[in-house]
Amino acid sequence: MNKIMRILLVVTILIMLPGCDYRILERIGFTYAASYDAAPENQVEIGISIPRADPTIDLVRELHSAVGKSSKDARVKFANETDLLLVNGQIRVLLYSEALARKDLSNEINSILRDTSISPLVKISLVNGNAKDMLFKDYKQHLSTDKYINRLLEKASTNNRIPKTTLYEFERDYYDDGIDPIAPILKEQAEDITVDGIGLFRGYKYIGKIYNKDVLLFSILRGKFKKGDMGLDLDSVRDNDGSHEYIMFTSVVSNRAVHVKHNANGPIHVTIAANFKGSIHEYIGDLKLSKDADRHQVEKKVSEILSERGNRLVKQLQQYNVDSLGIGMHVRNSMSYEAWKALNWSEEYPRIKVDCQIHFKAKDYGKIR
Amino acid sequence: MENNEKLSPFHTTILVFMIQSGVMALILPQLLAETFGTNGWITVFGFGIIATVNILLIAAVYKLGKGRSIFQILEQSIPRFMLIPIYLALAVVWTLLGCMAGKEYILIFQMYAFPTTNPMEFKLIMDLLVFWLLTKGLYNITKTSTIFFWLFIWMVLLAFFFYSDFNWARLTPFLFKGGKFTYLESLDIYSSFLGYEIVLLLFAYTNQKTKLIKATLIGNSVTTLTYCYLAFITFGVYSLGQLKNKAFPVLEMMAYIRFPFMERMENLLFGFILFTVLFSILMYEWCALEMLKHIFPKLKANFLAFMLMLMCFIVAYIPDTINDVGDWLSTLSMIECGIAFGLPLLLLIVLMFQSMGSRLAHE
Amino acid sequence: MTFSQVLRTMMIKDSGKNSGQEEQLPPEQDIRPPTLAHTLEEFQDCSDITHLTFPNHQTDLIYFDQMTDKDKLSRHILKPLLSGNDEEVAKMLQHLQPFRMTSSKSLILEILSGGVAVFNGQDAYAFNVYSPENRAISQSETETVITGPHDAFTEQVSTSLAMIRSRLKSSHLKVLRLSVGEITKTDVYLLYVKDIVNMRFVEEAKKRISEIEVDAMLDTNMLIQYMDDSKYSIFPQFLTSERPDAIVSKLVSGRVAGIVDGSPSAFTLPTSFFEFFSSSDDYYQRWILGSAIRLLRFIAFVITISFTAMYVSVTTFHYEMIPENLLLTLTESRSRVPFPPLYEALLMEITIELLREAGARLPTKIGQTIGIVGGIVIGQAAVQAGLTSNILIIAVASSAIASFVIPSYVMSASIRLIRFGLILLAGFLGNLGLVFGIAAIVIHLSGLTSMGSSYLNPVAPFEPKDWKDIFIRAPFKSLRERPTQSDSPNKVRNKTKE
Repeated sequence: MNKIMRILLVVTILIMLPGCDYRILERIGFTYAASYDAAPENQVEIGISIPRADPTIDLVRELHSAVGKSSKDARVKFANETDLLLVNGQIRVLLYSEALARKDLSNEINSILRDTSISPLVKISLVNGNAKDMLFKDYKQHLSTDKYINRLLEKASTNNRIPKTTLYEFERDYYDDGIDPIAPILKEQAEDITVDGIGLFRGYKYIGKIYNKDVLLFSILRGKFKKGDMGLDLDSVRDNDGSHEYIMFTSVVSNRAVHVKHNANGPIHVTIAANFKGSIHEYIGDLKLSKDADRHQVEKKVSEILSERGNRLVKQLQQYNVDSLGIGMHVRNSMSYEAWKALNWSEEYPRIKVDCQIHFKAKDYGKIR
Repeated sequence: MENNEKLSPFHTTILVFMIQSGVMALILPQLLAETFGTNGWITVFGFGIIATVNILLIAAVYKLGKGRSIFQILEQSIPRFMLIPIYLALAVVWTLLGCMAGKEYILIFQMYAFPTTNPMEFKLIMDLLVFWLLTKGLYNITKTSTIFFWLFIWMVLLAFFFYSDFNWARLTPFLFKGGKFTYLESLDIYSSFLGYEIVLLLFAYTNQKTKLIKATLIGNSVTTLTYCYLAFITFGVYSLGQLKNKAFPVLEMMAYIRFPFMERMENLLFGFILFTVLFSILMYEWCALEMLKHIFPKLKANFLAFMLMLMCFIVAYIPDTINDVGDWLSTLSMIECGIAFGLPLLLLIVLMFQSMGSRLAHE
Repeated sequence: MTFSQVLRTMMIKDSGKNSGQEEQLPPEQDIRPPTLAHTLEEFQDCSDITHLTFPNHQTDLIYFDQMTDKDKLSRHILKPLLSGNDEEVAKMLQHLQPFRMTSSKSLILEILSGGVAVFNGQDAYAFNVYSPENRAISQSETETVITGPHDAFTEQVSTSLAMIRSRLKSSHLKVLRLSVGEITKTDVYLLYVKDIVNMRFVEEAKKRISEIEVDAMLDTNMLIQYMDDSKYSIFPQFLTSERPDAIVSKLVSGRVAGIVDGSPSAFTLPTSFFEFFSSSDDYYQRWILGSAIRLLRFIAFVITISFTAMYVSVTTFHYEMIPENLLLTLTESRSRVPFPPLYEALLMEITIELLREAGARLPTKIGQTIGIVGGIVIGQAAVQAGLTSNILIIAVASSAIASFVIPSYVMSASIRLIRFGLILLAGFLGNLGLVFGIAAIVIHLSGLTSMGSSYLNPVAPFEPKDWKDIFIRAPFKSLRERPTQSDSPNKVRNKTKE
């Protein structure tokens, strides 16, 4: 019986030889990065960049763009322009122009979410300016632009210049009722691309932006933060007594706790307590860091400055009415389900009182005493 | 060799686990989120307990029947011509159940790869594997299940990948809020636990050493714990709204896993789920085969197995969309829930009559 | 195979043809008294036979010169005869009394096994002066170890048995002699240690060997195929080894061993799949090293089975799975290849099998050259000519190398063949095909038995106790019991106090 079985098995397999779903590597054009721009009449302009790796031709990447009602509509158009089978499985970066994001990204994001071939680890980013132009331009001193952007975002998020924003996180925060999604913003700067800030979303709609200098602070307040550099002018706190005081440190460990206090009458009071330890890399000033008292003074100064800036940042978020820090999640978890449902968080959010308490501690201060 | 080899407790445990876990595990977290809302993963325990109660019911049959097979119990009191329709009905339900589970698996796979290939090609190979196993007899089936178990269970370790994205705050302190409870959906959830009822047919293959009931209970708890762990991780990694919106949250989670040498693990790992799916199918077909053997005692088992798999293959042609298959599967699982509780009850009643009869005879 | 066996084969066939009805009888039943004339008739046309006549003593000698020990022959037989001294001849005949032959056939058999037949008047004697040309004991070519004993069995079964006896000095080591091959009459020895072995296996092995009815039995590897539980399976169902220390360790773990005369390898039974992954070396190394090497072998198994198949599957169907950093390299190397990945992979796999086979058939020195020429030159040229991608070369080469890590040559050959099936499946159905293939292998394996015990022991049936001597090599301290598969009546093997 077994013998017959085995023969049967082999025969069926042989019959089934021809499959039609071949995706042979060199015959497919895997989109590496895609850009989305607003086009007139509510259309979108889509640009894609496909890396070519044929050693016989000089081409590094293939670029296509088309305008269409939806992203899939545009895709059909440029699928006709290439000899390769277009696939989405290797998309790494999605770039949306700020203009498009201000309208609403829900169509674009949903079509991406529906596509089983797209990885949840796709990076989502906004572009200050025209996304297609940024993607299509060749930056002389960098890798091919698509890869350049991908690595830039990757590096920035591992170094905590920006929070990690993949499709998974973006979608997760969108659906969570206690937090709003964010995405980094890129900007073309002469022959380079830089991170311009963090885009704040309400739903899939781009609302406002956090500028570069506050990004690290934002990351600290958002929690889950490991490593990042920060420089501070310490003069602003005290009256200027002639000396210039500046500190530069790398945060090594940070943790954040959010405490919610409900007042019977009056707004909800939220305290964001963040402790972080850092190594001081640079210090310009009169104090001697090896002295405990002096160091504590510096630490206190840093903490004060940061707390104050944190409060300002939260104010700004409240003005935009975007809960990008996820305060809502903690408020929600501090009350009953019914009360939370009764509370209209987006109305309540701008009214709540938020207090940032950031404590800095110098773990070490380098080789000089 | 096969006939005198009785099942060992460990193999029975593994077998029960392998039958229970199947395609439904991929959808389970979504169903939980939709039906129970926040912290729906806790209800997995509840379902596990219901299954335990059902197993205890089967235990009663096993004990009162003194290890006789259900055929012996039934045929002692009920005339054969009345039993044959019951056997046939059970065989049909089990055949279809196995058949649809297989088709569902293949259709899901086709969303990720091979979208245009005829699903029946995959089904054919799958059915061939099932047929091959069917002809090998129960003892070899359990041996295979052990290996398949090891090939499958290592994937639980992959949950480590999600620890960094797991957030307790996302679980929320609310219990079962924001869900829409319907009996139909919860039956669907319960259907992912089905499979333990198959031990009813294992009576004849066991002896005292098998500790059948204990092994089944352990198998069921392993399933419950695995499901619970899976659901727990899913609930902590995805926000509730997101989870409700995902068709196959577990598959998508697998896509998140990335090794330096390999990405998008769902393409490969989904293949590994075949091992447990194959077993769910196999054991339902095996049960149907047992039934057929009693309906047609004169026919050869291998011939019956062949006809069974042929039927299974042909029926799989009928529903061709993922929703159709899902509907069939829900309907069948509902019937199967009924069988899981009904059959042991019927057997208990028969046994009670039998013991009363024997007592009367004694007097 | 020794010369004498070939000779025997040839001889008996001839005699069968030439002789009449009576010769059809087996030697034990042929009770005709031996006569010189008849013996000479039997060996008609055998130019290698020596027939000496000593008319003075009415004595004739018949023997095969090349099979006899000249020294022994001359000392015991020729010297008295040549001396011409009647007394000495009578003394010699006196000595020969125990070797007196009563039937013609048994006399002929004795001559064929290297004896000298002495005819004196009506009496016939056969004196064994067998001394075949024997290969010196040397290292095993197929199972080399770094530490530990280096000697290996030779084709001479007496030598092999001596090597085992000298390592296992116990009267409990029992040796059964069986005979297989209607024409070759090959001796097969079954060895076991009384009280440790489960007699069930001995009886079963005896039964299976005695059931074999075949004209010739030339090697151990041939015999075990007659004994297989599943004769169609691709997997070897008995472990064979050329190393006496390995066989002794199997014997004391309660297994049965067998040696075929004329074969330098012995087999043991019952066998499990996982046994093929262990080597004696593991026990001679420190346990951590031994364990690491064992794990390495299982990794090698996975690599052999899946590397090329994964390459085919990923490049043909699942491009998503390629990580970013590899993507362009892979695409670039693939872009010049004119064939689909499946054909490309099969081409390279077949090439490497050709190289292996050519290397194995040729003398060692040329074999090495072939390896270098084939491996480097063809590999390099194929990539440059754009026939294959270099990543495939790496995959093929590493899976070939991995296959050689598996200590048993027979198993490694089986695994290499299975790989082709998986490559085909991966080429048709991608990852699902691969998984279907693995499932099929597992189903097949779990259906296999070796002498009625599960081939997948100790994984299925589940015997966690044995895992520490299968997947790792735990310190000796914890290896206290014999493996469950041998089902030994005497479980404890190590009573060392901790």
